[in-house]
Amino acid sequence: MVNAKKFGLLCLLAFVLVPASQAQIKHIEMRVEGMT
Amino acid sequence: MKQHLGRQSGVQNVEVSLIDGKVQVTPKENGQIDPAQLLKATYDSGVTVAEMDMTAQGKIVKDSSGNLALQVEPNRSFAIEPNDLSKSLESLANSQTVVTVRGQLYKKRANKKKADASVLLKLLLLEVPKEVPKEAQKKE
Repeated sequence: MVNAKKFGLLCLLAFVLVPASQAQIKHIEMRVEGMT
Repeated sequence: MKQHLGRQSGVQNVEVSLIDGKVQVTPKENGQIDPAQLLKATYDSGVTVAEMDMTAQGKIVKDSSGNLALQVEPNRSFAIEPNDLSKSLESLANSQTVVTVRGQLYKKRANKKKADASVLLKLLLLEVPKEVPKEAQKKE
């Protein structure tokens, strides 16, 4: 019973933490010329 | 241009500042954005890109020639231009460590009037994490 509870908490923690550590482009900034 | 860029795949939001000529592009969460496509889309809208900077999270990988690259997606990576900052990341090559870096992907050459949208984008690192993870330090 306790193990199931711990496993559930572990899954919840993984769900929260994994997206934050995913590789991805976070932001792009361009300096442009000739914009009116 | 804002609408044109906003229609590109993986783009969440585009902010344009006419005063300083800055365009901020926010990718969608987990979206697959292609900087080369953005460069081309900007060029197609009749505006010249002078510089393109990127902040990205990814893994440092080393190819067979020993060149470092930042892998931001399983099938997308950017070759890293060697400099002092890139040397500090060599210890992380081919590890599972995810780092956040800021770098310049494109800069218009002085003698070119228009940006070359077909240019190969190389990442010149401008900022890397101050603290290299402990697991990477042990390797050194």
